[in-house]
Amino acid sequence: MRDTLSLLFYLMRLRVRTRLEFRAALLITWLAQAFGYAGIFASIWLILTRFGTIGGWTWPQMAFLLGFHTLGYALGACFTLVQLRRMEDIVLGGEFDTLLVRPLNPWAYLVFSGFNIEYGGHIALGAGLVAWAWPQLSIAWTTDTCLLLAGGLVSAALITASMITIIAACALVLGRARYLFGIYFDFWELSRYPASIFAAPFQVALLSIIPLGYMAYVPVAVLLGRPVPYLGAFAEIAALSAGPLSAVAAFFFWRFCLKRYQGGGG
Amino acid sequence: MSAFLALVTAAFRREAEHRSRILMRILGGLVEILARISIWKAAFGGHGTLSGISLDEMITYSLIGGTILSSWDATMIVRDVGATIRTGAIGSSLLRPMHYPVMLLAEQIGVRLFDWLLISLPVIVIMGSIYGLQPPESLAHALLFVGYVVVSLAILMGFAILVGLLSFWVFDAHALEWFMRGLLAVLSGGLVPIWFYPQGLAEVAHALPFSWIAYHPLAAYLGQRDLTEELLILAAGAGWAAVLAFAVAFVWSRACAQVVVQGG
Repeated sequence: MRDTLSLLFYLMRLRVRTRLEFRAALLITWLAQAFGYAGIFASIWLILTRFGTIGGWTWPQMAFLLGFHTLGYALGACFTLVQLRRMEDIVLGGEFDTLLVRPLNPWAYLVFSGFNIEYGGHIALGAGLVAWAWPQLSIAWTTDTCLLLAGGLVSAALITASMITIIAACALVLGRARYLFGIYFDFWELSRYPASIFAAPFQVALLSIIPLGYMAYVPVAVLLGRPVPYLGAFAEIAALSAGPLSAVAAFFFWRFCLKRYQGGGG
Repeated sequence: MSAFLALVTAAFRREAEHRSRILMRILGGLVEILARISIWKAAFGGHGTLSGISLDEMITYSLIGGTILSSWDATMIVRDVGATIRTGAIGSSLLRPMHYPVMLLAEQIGVRLFDWLLISLPVIVIMGSIYGLQPPESLAHALLFVGYVVVSLAILMGFAILVGLLSFWVFDAHALEWFMRGLLAVLSGGLVPIWFYPQGLAEVAHALPFSWIAYHPLAAYLGQRDLTEELLILAAGAGWAAVLAFAVAFVWSRACAQVVVQGG
């Protein structure tokens, strides 16, 4: 176990060192991605400057929500997105067969050997928004709030990694999965807004079968002391447990698909 | 011209190959429009009209702005151009009997036509029947809207190809793609109409060509200005499209000098 972990850590280090060879390009990528997100967030700020609130959420509250969402996503996506988004190519090109004969779990190899440090812009923007909004929202620095903030971010990262893993696993059975990422990102965009502004069926979906509502809305609503539809007093525990539960579901789904994998290369 | 049309048709057919993907993209379009409409309904908060704009108008703005006039996929051109240059496929593109930017334009028009017919139209029909879609202000405004859509497409494609061609000098096209997304998110008025912007930012947005991508066509559709003013603004948009076309031609002529083909 220790050897496996040190090997995975070594693969991560190799990847980081490779990416750091082109530091200027990496810095430009961070700036560009932060700029791209800032443009979208600026549109939301423009609505709030004119209308005051969106579903009762003010700009500092929305900024906190957007920052939390971006941060949680980046922490999960740096381990999974770029690596597993090309799962379709890996399967159809026969590369997955070569991973199966290596003395290492193929998921772990893909995830750690492709560890992506291009999310620096996301992290800086997300952390910046959270740091800017926190003092304006009068959220007390207590052990409970700090644990919920940290635990909620870990949970959000796990939800991101789990959903990406589940979509990638579909490629093992279906051969194609890239278009599913499109659907994932459409719902992911919904999850950057308060779920309470959507129609009831979408609220239920975001809090159950597509658990993206737990990425930011539920933990942030609990931190802000806002009521969470359908969850009520269970919102806090749900926010913290959604990530680990998603990870368990992703683990079993990956194994389920792997058992049914029959080779996709030609 | 026949080669151009052949490329348009080929791109259209290529998009039509994956039928399951079409259904998924329609579903994605429905989700995106739902998000936009929900935001505006929440922002209006029960008021029928705010700042002289009604909720019904904003629902129509969201429906058309998020489908026919969406700019998100145009950023993919930058990614494609970057990949063509990085993989060296640009060498074979130079052998074809058409300039590379014109080829890109033809392919993108094919993709856009496909999107309009098989993705945007179903989404507009479904969401319009649920939330309501306002008709154009008048027949003249409808005709002007068609002209604006052509100008919008020309400016969007011209800008995307121009940014894509910068990949000849910039190592990572991925960064260009994100810069373009950020610019278009704010300055095209695709999500938030420029009439809601603070004055300073609105003046900047009006002075740049990006507002012709979504804001001006939708303002024309909703009849926000009189016909004479609309015609003048449409002509200005056509001028911007011409400027971008010249810029693309200039950058392409300089980019060709950058290409070194090794081996055969």
